Amino acid sequence: MRARWLLPMGAGAAAVAQVAHAVQYLTVEQAQRAAFANAAAFVPVAVDIDTAAIGAPAGWKPLMWRVQGDAGALGWFFEDAVVGKSELITYTLALDASGKITDLEILDYRESHGGEVRLAAWRNQFKAKSATDPVALDRDIRNISGATLSCRHLTEGVHRLLQLYAHVLAAKP
Amino acid sequence: MNGIRRARPWLGTIVEIGVDGMQATPAMRAIEAAFAEVAIVHRLMGFHAEDGDLARLRRARAGECVRVNARTHEVLAWSLRIAQVSAGAFDPCVATMQVARGVLPLPKSAVVPDASASWRDIELLEGERVRLRRPLWIDLGGIAKGYAVDRAIEVLCAHGATQACVNAGGDVRVCGTQAQRIDLRTADGRIHPALEIVDGAVATSCSDGAQHLHGASRDAVAGGITASVIAERCIVADALTKVVLAGGMAARTALQAFAAQAWRHDDRGGWQAFGIAA
Repeated sequence: MRARWLLPMGAGAAAVAQVAHAVQYLTVEQAQRAAFANAAAFVPVAVDIDTAAIGAPAGWKPLMWRVQGDAGALGWFFEDAVVGKSELITYTLALDASGKITDLEILDYRESHGGEVRLAAWRNQFKAKSATDPVALDRDIRNISGATLSCRHLTEGVHRLLQLYAHVLAAKP
Repeated sequence: MNGIRRARPWLGTIVEIGVDGMQATPAMRAIEAAFAEVAIVHRLMGFHAEDGDLARLRRARAGECVRVNARTHEVLAWSLRIAQVSAGAFDPCVATMQVARGVLPLPKSAVVPDASASWRDIELLEGERVRLRRPLWIDLGGIAKGYAVDRAIEVLCAHGATQACVNAGGDVRVCGTQAQRIDLRTADGRIHPALEIVDGAVATSCSDGAQHLHGASRDAVAGGITASVIAERCIVADALTKVVLAGGMAARTALQAFAAQAWRHDDRGGWQAFGIAA
């Protein structure tokens, strides 16, 4: 191990977090291929969203695709963004044909990684969770003290997408 | 790093895993395996998980032997070692008090913990078994994230990665011959190059919000302090940030015991090397 400290000693602002620079992890197309390797087509879906019914902010408009394979529907794919501490985190969510979560990937973010984080039962709570389950923040997916803001807002974002699926997409032929 | 990087939410934060100098297919295989390992640590050692090892220990009666996963056993062994060299400044058994203070949520547990229990009441036995001398609650939130980072790096290397970086909410470990730069963001939102590191780990903790307790005195650690610790292993760096926040001679002894370095910031003194022999 070798390390060299670069910050000047003495007066100076306190660090609040180690950060990654603005970074793109995946493009939407790469995330689609990663989630549905056997997809024949990603068909964009445009629907009117009753944001009030879903509990989403007015004007909220995630991107949606119906995923088709050679033998029929494979599921759904979403791209949305949430605000972390100060910046946008773009992420994608993949649902299988029955509405269960199969993949969650962060495409890009410039959000602090947070200095004070406790272990939280988190992402695994999403696995095989569908919109019929109660995904209220404080009940089912726990709103953990100590979880970073970015993590909490991602939780809320996934919740909105599951609501959207349940209220709008699940009924579509 | 110009290689392949992925970020996913785990451990209550965003975990970033990156490898450099590998073909895309084996790189992705390595990254997926590393995320899978992070997920296992998350499930085993989350304080809130009702089906994890910590929940099983919460339900244990005094003197009962509980078999845990080898990973949990390993983290407990590191916890006890760090508790010992820091004279208890790091103590995973402050969980009971943290629940009482509202820092941690109340877990389901039929067994009432002994509020005066400490790390000395945890006994590690052969065969990945744990015995508690008194009923107590264990929180590995101050160390398991660092362990998850170490395990992710080990998995990446086992899959052939030679240059890699794992960052879980500011707990960072890098491997490989290239120096990697770690940046810190300050309260004013600016980003500063803070550190160049080769084959090592760094973790940063802040004592804002009086969330930390001194493990031995059980007093809240003063707010407004930031501690960065550099060590060979991330599990050590992660746990020692709490020891440095607690301060005092115990912190210097603990840093020395693990050949770790620390920088500490408060509003009066700015950044200062802490416990590093001149």
